Amino acid sequence: MKKKLYVPHPGHYEGLEQLLADSNNIYSIYMAGSPDYIGTGRVNLGHANLEEIARHTQCCHGKGVKIEMVLNSSCMGGQQLTPEGYNILHWYLSNLEDIGVDTVVVADPYLVEMLDQEFNIPSVVSVLAFVDSPQKAEFYEQLGASSIVVDSNVNRHFDVLEAIRDAVDCELKLLVNEGCLYRCPFRYAHFNFFSHVNGPPPRPNVQDDYYYNKCLTLRIRDPSLIIRSPFIRPEDLSEYAHITDVFKIGGRSHLLNWILNCVDAYASERYDGNLMDLMDCPKDLVDLFNIPNRALDGAIRQWKQHSTVCHTCGYCQRLAEKVTQVYNRMGTPDEKLEQWITLTNKGIDTL
Amino acid sequence: MTLDNLLKTRADLEERIRKLIGRAAMIIELDLFALPCGCSGYTANTRGLALDDLEVFEEHFLKLLNESAQAVNISTGFVFARIIPGTQEIAALNVRELCPRCYSDFASTRGKRPRPDIYIFHLARRKR
Repeated sequence: MKKKLYVPHPGHYEGLEQLLADSNNIYSIYMAGSPDYIGTGRVNLGHANLEEIARHTQCCHGKGVKIEMVLNSSCMGGQQLTPEGYNILHWYLSNLEDIGVDTVVVADPYLVEMLDQEFNIPSVVSVLAFVDSPQKAEFYEQLGASSIVVDSNVNRHFDVLEAIRDAVDCELKLLVNEGCLYRCPFRYAHFNFFSHVNGPPPRPNVQDDYYYNKCLTLRIRDPSLIIRSPFIRPEDLSEYAHITDVFKIGGRSHLLNWILNCVDAYASERYDGNLMDLMDCPKDLVDLFNIPNRALDGAIRQWKQHSTVCHTCGYCQRLAEKVTQVYNRMGTPDEKLEQWITLTNKGIDTL
Repeated sequence: MTLDNLLKTRADLEERIRKLIGRAAMIIELDLFALPCGCSGYTANTRGLALDDLEVFEEHFLKLLNESAQAVNISTGFVFARIIPGTQEIAALNVRELCPRCYSDFASTRGKRPRPDIYIFHLARRKR
């Protein structure tokens, strides 16, 4: 399938050069800017200032690759509506326009309208605007959006995706490997937290990310939550051909080799390793679970017509019990894999 | 103390915790540390463990942590868990030899929860 892949920036210039040299399958790179002006909804490995953004833009354009700036803070604390906030945003976006970035991703409708009214940069509605219905998609298109990253919660709701496709003419983009919980209860609070951590000061000084820890705990206890997560497997991209040909690979906090591995998988629409290798989040679980990606071949047929009431359907639960393996004694010579269900069936052993 | 030993200690601790609680859990990092104040010890960063697990299996956890501390030559004067305050989430299990200043801070407190983020398994009282 012919497609456009949006790929995360590896965080530094040398990494970008290597990424572009090692892959011909990248349509656009995306990156965050400086958190001192507008925040972003996720952790990044680098914080580029305007001079660096200009250098990175030149590098991408020199290779025929587009560059997208991700300014998708889900909470700016209301500062964006103050006169000072407006001036800062306007100054920053003017600079990005002068630099020649191709697109800007925002999560706040105010910024979509501002970009449309005052700038000549196409705006992309972030996945953090949670566009999960044709009505919301129409709203953003009328506000001036040129592209919408659809809420990944509906990645497997083909009826909703088709309704959104019918409702708007703008580009639709699907985030393929976010790996978040389906209908995640932490989603709003966690991204608001990230937006402040990765945004202008004052930044919260936090020792433990409660939302992340809790998310891990839930999945460690029940790996069916990983299967239920609305990722799109490389093998399943063609199922979305009637919706879009634009796919975004998440992973701004990952290193170059990880990004290249994902690009190869999604470009070739095949991956023979551990599904967890491809998931942007939560990355710690790659050291716990092995879910052979090819063991999920054909699951898309169920997901395309699935019930959204998991406790009555049970398909993902059964699939997880069948395919999920757990690493034991990892990092030692006697490392081995065992079935997750075997571990949980053993029960308690008080030594 | 060798790196292989540290890797084995991490794997042992993780495996024994899983057997103890009867489900998966992770030691995502095992660190030996030395602080400027004079405290030293190890920290096992955990995922998938809950405060309920510690309360139910407290004596078993203490035994496990003592044994894994011995495996990396850490003395077990102070054994505790770090909790995300206000939650069930256990962020880390710690074995620490306290410096005189930190000892006096903890020794002057009472109970298992001297701070919202700490659950004490064991504090060896020193003679005055």
